[in-house]
Amino acid sequence: MLRFSEGRGDFAALIGTRSPESGGADALAGPSAFGPARLPVTTNGPDNGLASGEVHGTTVIAVKYRDGVINVGDRRATGGFSIMYDKAEKVLPLDDYTLIAISGSFAKAMEVVRYLRHAFRYYERSQLQPMSLDGKLSELGRVIAGNVMAAMNGIGAFIPVLSTFDPDANEGRIFFYDGMGARFETSEFGAAGSGSTQIRGIFEYIAKVKGPWREMDRDTALKEALTLLEIAADLDAATGGSSKVLPLAKTITADGIQDVEIDTIRNIVKEINGTEPYAVQPV
Amino acid sequence: MPYSLYDWNEAIQQRNEYVEDRLKDGSPVVAVSYEDGILLLSLRGAQRKVFEVYDRLIMGALGKQSDIESLRLAAVDVAHKEGFERSPDDVSIQRLVGFSLSPAIKRVYNDQQSVPLTLRAVFAEMDRTPDTDHFFVLGYDGEFEAQQRCAVAAGTPYAEDQAEEFLREASPATLDDALRAALTAWGIGRSRLAPKAADEEGDDFDPLSDRNDTNLKMADDPAVAIREALKDKATVEAAILNRNSARETKFRLLKDADLEAVLAEYR
Repeated sequence: MLRFSEGRGDFAALIGTRSPESGGADALAGPSAFGPARLPVTTNGPDNGLASGEVHGTTVIAVKYRDGVINVGDRRATGGFSIMYDKAEKVLPLDDYTLIAISGSFAKAMEVVRYLRHAFRYYERSQLQPMSLDGKLSELGRVIAGNVMAAMNGIGAFIPVLSTFDPDANEGRIFFYDGMGARFETSEFGAAGSGSTQIRGIFEYIAKVKGPWREMDRDTALKEALTLLEIAADLDAATGGSSKVLPLAKTITADGIQDVEIDTIRNIVKEINGTEPYAVQPV
Repeated sequence: MPYSLYDWNEAIQQRNEYVEDRLKDGSPVVAVSYEDGILLLSLRGAQRKVFEVYDRLIMGALGKQSDIESLRLAAVDVAHKEGFERSPDDVSIQRLVGFSLSPAIKRVYNDQQSVPLTLRAVFAEMDRTPDTDHFFVLGYDGEFEAQQRCAVAAGTPYAEDQAEEFLREASPATLDDALRAALTAWGIGRSRLAPKAADEEGDDFDPLSDRNDTNLKMADDPAVAIREALKDKATVEAAILNRNSARETKFRLLKDADLEAVLAEYR
């Protein structure tokens, strides 16, 4: 009489988006996923004077360090050839120990983040135990898989990097996904977005030359990651540099998620660039 | 068959008696605001008794375990559906209890073919200050009361009043104060089920004198009630919503270590 769900902690079932044919893959795909028409990505139609089509987020990086994982992301969001927004946040907490770093369609990624935050918590609160790491990773994979049709139609493609702290192994863990929802665990680092391919080899170089990422202290790893981000901004038009707005960084350790203090980031950026960012706005 | 007003009255009366009889022996649930958040406390056997409902909502109840579970899941469902489809900011205790849970419970209560839900629940919503925290007590008939600062669900309305009066007086500032006050309030809610009417000889009226089980007879002393419960292997279950936490999750179940200092006084 009072119950609405099947009691499995299944959030997709609760909000009525899990259809039997898809096995839940369409949790967030929405009607556009199976729409017949290919939607134009760039049009001459009405826009907001800045851009037409979707807004995209670009380079995000996750690296391990001694106490866990650091995530950094640039702040630029682009639409077509326009810079839409220079204070985008692309590293977002899903729960106390899980960070998602998003690249690709901003609209879809934000929906997915909202969905996952609710799905993980709904499970934990209704089942009185936290969702397992594997359960969380599968849920994210399902959402990406459910988005494939829309992504093939040219809208809503997004690629996340998921970082977490594994209390059993007492270390950070980093996972990345392909466009179909396949999940891969990386040993030390991961990146996504249009600037990520250009810097891929540098991760290896740093690990070979300066020693494993997992042995660095926080500020060393942070400096390397911010340098990588700066290089990505140099090589990729859609990735924002740090001259105008500072990048953001978050860590996950055994104590949970923390923002890296903005002063630390400012000092490191100053060291990397040799100049003070000219218009550093808070958050 | 004709159905008279008397039958209807009788039926309601019987339902109430049936439920109230079963609630009387329940372990009260106590909620109280303090500076850094809200504390929800109870003593329990095997089953959990205090729960996180949503980002800033907690609940606890006494009554039948399966009924509490139905109510809890319904509350979690409604809160998450609304929080996702609209915004977490729109999930409020007033909407949840007033418009979703209360009418549903009332429907079950009014349905003469079904057994009413045997429970009494406390809901609390954390705001920015203790003065603006919200508390609701929801009964088996769907009726509810809004309260400030504290709320108690206990076996009888009298016990609730006594415990709440004590908590209002105590007005705890720190978590430690809140734990002490809540535990005493639990003892009051457990032991003072009805007023003691002094008879002419000056002997106290024992509200539990009609019970055959001597184990259930307790002195009118909250400390005794707490000691008895702890001796019977009851576990103190306490959870907080932390107002100033930087974490995503404001809810935290307190660990044994957090409770030990307060419990030591009763061991």
